[in-house]
Amino acid sequence: MTETSESGVMGDRAIISVRNLVKHFPVETGILRRQVGVVKAVDNVNFDLNEGETLALVGESGCGKTTTSHCIIQAQRPTSGQVFFRLGDDEPMDLTQMEKGELKGARRNIRMIYQDPYSSLNPRMTLLQIIGEPLAIHRMVESQEELRVRVADLLRLVRLDPSTLNRYPHAFSGGQRQRIAIARALSLSPKVVIADEAVSALDVSVQAQILNLLKELQHQLGLTYLFVAHNLAVVKYEADRVAVMYAGKIVEIGETEELYTSPRHPYTEALISAAPNPDPDTKHRARIVLAGEVADPGNLPAGCAFHPRCRYAEDRCRQEAPELVDVGGSEGQSHFSACHFAESLELTGIAGGLQSEKRGNE
Amino acid sequence: MSQSADPDLERHAAVSGGPSDSLLTVRNLQTHFFSREGVVKAVDGVSFDIRPGEILGIAGESGCGKSVTSQSILRILPKNGKIVEGEILFNYGDRTVDLIQEDADGAVLRDIRGKEIAMIFQEPMTAFSPVHTIGDQIIETIRIHQQVSKEEAHEQALEMLRRVGMPSPARNIDQYTFNLSGGMRQRAMVALSLSCRPKLLIADEPTTAVDVTIQAQMLELLRDIQADLGMAIIMITHDLGVIAELTDRVMIMYLGKEVEHGTVEDVFHRPQHPYTRGLLTSIPKMEPGRVEIEPIEGAVPSPYAMPTGCKFHTRCPDYIEGVCEKQDPPLVEVARGHEVSCYLYGGREGLE
Repeated sequence: MTETSESGVMGDRAIISVRNLVKHFPVETGILRRQVGVVKAVDNVNFDLNEGETLALVGESGCGKTTTSHCIIQAQRPTSGQVFFRLGDDEPMDLTQMEKGELKGARRNIRMIYQDPYSSLNPRMTLLQIIGEPLAIHRMVESQEELRVRVADLLRLVRLDPSTLNRYPHAFSGGQRQRIAIARALSLSPKVVIADEAVSALDVSVQAQILNLLKELQHQLGLTYLFVAHNLAVVKYEADRVAVMYAGKIVEIGETEELYTSPRHPYTEALISAAPNPDPDTKHRARIVLAGEVADPGNLPAGCAFHPRCRYAEDRCRQEAPELVDVGGSEGQSHFSACHFAESLELTGIAGGLQSEKRGNE
Repeated sequence: MSQSADPDLERHAAVSGGPSDSLLTVRNLQTHFFSREGVVKAVDGVSFDIRPGEILGIAGESGCGKSVTSQSILRILPKNGKIVEGEILFNYGDRTVDLIQEDADGAVLRDIRGKEIAMIFQEPMTAFSPVHTIGDQIIETIRIHQQVSKEEAHEQALEMLRRVGMPSPARNIDQYTFNLSGGMRQRAMVALSLSCRPKLLIADEPTTAVDVTIQAQMLELLRDIQADLGMAIIMITHDLGVIAELTDRVMIMYLGKEVEHGTVEDVFHRPQHPYTRGLLTSIPKMEPGRVEIEPIEGAVPSPYAMPTGCKFHTRCPDYIEGVCEKQDPPLVEVARGHEVSCYLYGGREGLE
């Protein structure tokens, strides 16, 4: 992918640039731990996270979306590749080359929110301790009194009652707990928040509250989100751009509306078609049901990893792995697809799906 | 909408026939859980019918009682759960039995479970024993319920594995669950549950833990198998997309109560209850252009601190002070076969 400007290693508007990111896990066996294979969890991933945007990483389990986010924050060290982070007008820094101590500054600016607010919050800590802990670690407050004021402000920010700061997580519902996790993530005034399936475990009525809260906070604080998710409808609502991953690679990346209405990769088309829509009128639409299952990243097929499930696959797909190239979106936007036939295939997006359904009814 | 003296009679008439043409009739089911903290009314007066070959959806958020309803039907409740009231009438051969009156471990229920009413779960690993082959478990089920030889049962098991789209049934029949991928396990579980050709299949969140492409395969399979074998299905899920894709009728539940009930078209296109409307506006849509979402305020109350009156009144945008918190609203019919439990549509006459 060639979003990088000529002037440097990062895209012009990027706050984080991921370059040739690879994360392989060895498969070992026996008492000698002989290596018998390798799981290519993330296999040469490139993208820019632009300042102020929400970029979604979507894909099915095992596609590498979570590993990618862990490699960005250096919770897992990548096998190879670079993750550049730039603060304001400073020089970009490559997080993969930094020692643990040096990373502290970057990690203050890149925070995570996890899926399950029941396991991500320590049940023995009060909200004051949970939300205040990052502030204490990074020595951002002078006194206990200042800490209380800051935590109360953060609780107000996520629309929780500030008088609850001495209570424990068990007193809160799932949605409220996720608000606490968000308050903790925002305590250090970060630039970037990585939300890993942050609404997947919530009931739909509460999920909507959190989605809207994340949007409001982004607007209010100028945050940049990397939104890791598997639910395509949620992603469509939340993201400005979407990167679709399959078997450790990005197969398509583009503006959200563009990608959903005119997908340029057969896997994206199938995902969109498979997503259940809460409208009984679309019940009998011609749905693309992919045969088989997600490719095993420990034993990838030759050529394009998607070819065994692709209904458009030809000989070339079985031999040659496609590159992620700009196939050009509408209005001069870039729209990248890793498919040999991205230019010639007529793929169906959401609008098309609904239209063909209506035709089918006549 | 008319209000007769006995709301139950009204209901029987409204749901087009009562027990006579329906396969399963649930009336005023109340299942409570008893614990040291108190009593949780997990299911608090639910009534519905399901006719042969029909697909009914039961939808709602966590704690609404949808799973407890299905566990009550099969009498497989956890130890501290008890059915305290109601009827579950099942058309069994040429007679009708009330499953609540039967012994949970007795001959009638053992005969019905697996043979007449089967169930599939969210996690296929819990449906199978890991130390027996898939085939042995299917054959065992068949031989418990039918007088057939081992060879015949083997044939039937193979046939069922083929029908659910296992890639090579002859090999799969001798495999263990750990040999199979997630999607194949789901298929094997469907084969097991359908091996005795049940008249009713209860599917409790069968697609919640799987990826979207596997979910699509599973929904297609259920649709095909249903058309093929003609059994009735109760689909229990929190996913309104799945309900819209699969079911004929839907019942929406909230805190153990039925709030709305009707054809899937009525409920999705003409939702009446403020909770149903809130659910539908909460879900992001797969439609072109910007579609805003509108959450429901607040959170589901704790089961130990249940609101009085209408259980939804604490979160309801249409809350009527002095009415909603007084008593449970009765179910009223807003259109043929479309019922809502909300004072916006009547039922206030009995209130002082």
